[in-house]
Amino acid sequence: MKRLEIARLYNRFGFGPRPGEYTKALTAGVIATKQSLLNPPQIDSGAVALPEVTDLGKRPEPNTPEVITFSRGLRVQSQDIELWWLDQMVATNKPLQEKMVWFWHGHWATSIGKVNYPMPMLLQNQTFRQYATGNFNEFAKAMFKDGALQIWLDGGENTVKAPNENLSREMMELFLLGVNRYTEGDVKELARAFTGYQVSRSAGTVVYNAKRRDTKSVTLLGKSAVMTPEDAITRLVSQADCAKFIAERIWYRFISSQQPLPTNHQMIGAFAGREIAPVLSTLINGSDLANPEYEIVKSPVEWFVGVCRALSLTPSKLDSFSKLHGYLQKLSQVPFAPPNVGGWPTDEAWLSSASAQFRIAFATWLVNQADLSAIQAQTPEQRIAYLADLLAVVEWSPRTLFALREVRDVVPRLVILAICSPEYVVSP
Amino acid sequence: MNEIPTMSPEQLGMSKYTRRQFLKFSGAATAASAASVLSINDIAEAAITRPLPLGTPILVVVTLYGGNDGLNTVIPYQDSNYYAARPTLNYKAETLLPLSEGLALNSSMTGIKSLWDAQKVAVIRGVGYPKPDRSHFSSMAIWQTGSPQTHLNTGWLGRWLDNQNTDPMLAISLGSVLPPLLAGAKQSGSALPLGGLAIPTGAIGAACMRLSEVSQRDSKLSAAAATSMRNLFSVSGNVTPVLSQAAPIADDLPTVTGGNAGGDSNLTQQLNIVAKLIAAGAPTKVWSVSLGGFDTHANEANAQAALLGTVSTSISKFLSQMKASGRSKDITVLVYSEFGRRVKANGSDGTDHGTAGPMFLIGDRVQGGMFGDQPSLTKLVDGDLAVTTDFRDVYASVIEGVLLTPAEKVLGKWNGRIKAFKSA
Repeated sequence: MKRLEIARLYNRFGFGPRPGEYTKALTAGVIATKQSLLNPPQIDSGAVALPEVTDLGKRPEPNTPEVITFSRGLRVQSQDIELWWLDQMVATNKPLQEKMVWFWHGHWATSIGKVNYPMPMLLQNQTFRQYATGNFNEFAKAMFKDGALQIWLDGGENTVKAPNENLSREMMELFLLGVNRYTEGDVKELARAFTGYQVSRSAGTVVYNAKRRDTKSVTLLGKSAVMTPEDAITRLVSQADCAKFIAERIWYRFISSQQPLPTNHQMIGAFAGREIAPVLSTLINGSDLANPEYEIVKSPVEWFVGVCRALSLTPSKLDSFSKLHGYLQKLSQVPFAPPNVGGWPTDEAWLSSASAQFRIAFATWLVNQADLSAIQAQTPEQRIAYLADLLAVVEWSPRTLFALREVRDVVPRLVILAICSPEYVVSP
Repeated sequence: MNEIPTMSPEQLGMSKYTRRQFLKFSGAATAASAASVLSINDIAEAAITRPLPLGTPILVVVTLYGGNDGLNTVIPYQDSNYYAARPTLNYKAETLLPLSEGLALNSSMTGIKSLWDAQKVAVIRGVGYPKPDRSHFSSMAIWQTGSPQTHLNTGWLGRWLDNQNTDPMLAISLGSVLPPLLAGAKQSGSALPLGGLAIPTGAIGAACMRLSEVSQRDSKLSAAAATSMRNLFSVSGNVTPVLSQAAPIADDLPTVTGGNAGGDSNLTQQLNIVAKLIAAGAPTKVWSVSLGGFDTHANEANAQAALLGTVSTSISKFLSQMKASGRSKDITVLVYSEFGRRVKANGSDGTDHGTAGPMFLIGDRVQGGMFGDQPSLTKLVDGDLAVTTDFRDVYASVIEGVLLTPAEKVLGKWNGRIKAFKSA
């Protein structure tokens, strides 16, 4: 049971242990491990310096020298932010904070596929960092002014003359309340409250334009008033449904996408002040982590970052960015590029035959670049148990034990098998 | 024996979908029966050993994700209200492709226009369902389950599958994720990933094969992880080269303006594979393909025209490819989207989520022409088109006219029909 709870603390509320961490935590115990997860150092000593990302301005005319420089800038900066974030996930010493940044990226799911410019995407990521475990009302208000989200959901096109409902609908359905917890009328009214903002696409800055603003009163969830976007968001966030919804989303990504959030779960009450941190500590200190029923499949990025942490690999130092990006693409999960505004899929969606094939190829590529001497130094008999602790695998099944024993003399093959095993791909 | 699917209230726990349920559902239907993933080779082998008898009707379902703007697809170009509602988002009458009854196709849909001229296209107007839901996720779930009022965890074609003998080849969806449409309680359709699978070989292949055994100790998801690896090895080595080429990186289209509501981007390639497999004699009666990008909240005209052009060209090309196979007479193509869009354009030359939209049925078995009433542009319901035809009328007609199954087995008691099929 201790192995299960501590493995879940590492795998779900972080990106997996680094060498030695799981063993140490087993000695320290469940409570101490929870404490250190919830009380990280103030400053992340593992933090990776931000990449240099600039405002690339308007796309120059086709067939000019300027457009070549521009396109190169887009490509290089997109690559830089992707590698920076992956490096950051691997290097962080504040795993819960980083995991929450990843969670919010899936929540306010915005893709560079439409935003196009890296700068707004990086700015959005900074907002996720600032509020990752902070006040949700402040967070939601900041997200309204987020350039990338505004571009993604056509917020800049929403004017008094003709409201555009894309942002207002998703604000209620996917970000703040959950589907069917508002009326169609609310969608239209909220769109009016959101009018009057324009985005600079390349810089990601949102500016107010009074001419486009609908200044009349709106009726939102039964209350009529002249509302700024901030007023409207505060009204939505203060709804009881918002607490339920955020608890549901955290449950879905951290505990189980298969089983629903139990009614009246303590997380809902813990969100009374709309602070995110108490919700997380309630969940982590509660009994759900010890319940073996709640299994979850690691998403491809979680799997990859976990492997890098265990094998001391740095994403930006792997031998080819395009290979790395290609594997993530084939596994259908590239940071900054979720498939739709609903965010990443879960569980069985990551377990197709196609992904099994790509995972084996990806694992082979990674293991061939890793220093395996610490594993090599173990006797062949010890290696399998050593790998379970290195990877925070709770227990190898007899099937996997048999498969691993067959190859324990060939260390790279042994490691590839271990990280492709059901016991590692699934967080039990 | 086959059972009539129970549609009783006991079975229907909830009345509405949540996004969570839908996403989970579309990832893999947990309550419904598990989907298998097929290889091209599995299908090719079945095509050789037990080909579909010539003359067996085949249904090809084309899902347009994002909410296709029906008013700019089948355009009421002689109605001044159309131009008034969309002063800067309309098409000039002379560029359009006139059909009949004051309606014309979007100018990019020349392929479907030719099929219309050959009387092979039924346009069903004003299709929707009661109490329209404007959420992409909820509305798509309603269309795919075929159940507007009550939550079902099976798709309408999944329930048709439940009434057939067990056969993973009967219904196939292109792409690695199975749409809820094909999820049945007893058996689900299969997913066929684009691009071939390369099986690990040598020592690592042998070792991985050992890992893919299901262990008695496996939890549900661990077993699924092992199974996914085992399926990889069940693919035999000699894959038909034409069919196994990797999916092209380049999309058919820019999905930038309307691309945040799901769906695939390579309809042409999907239909190309379907054409080859049908021609080869695959024992498959239902195919599912999709195109995303229809969520055109801004700058709609060019993006939607490009998307509709792809739909039109890929379908007409697909049907002409089928001529040589002798099966073109057997095929019916059904095209739908989760909702139409708002009548009045928004300020960004796009449209917001709406309600009713047109459906298309295309093929030799189809009775060409207009069906259902064109929704009025002056008698709107909350700014949206009134639904004049329930989609279950269309489903029921397709279940009987193409799948030759009593509609009641799939939809329960449902009386509405459209006479869009030639009498046999």
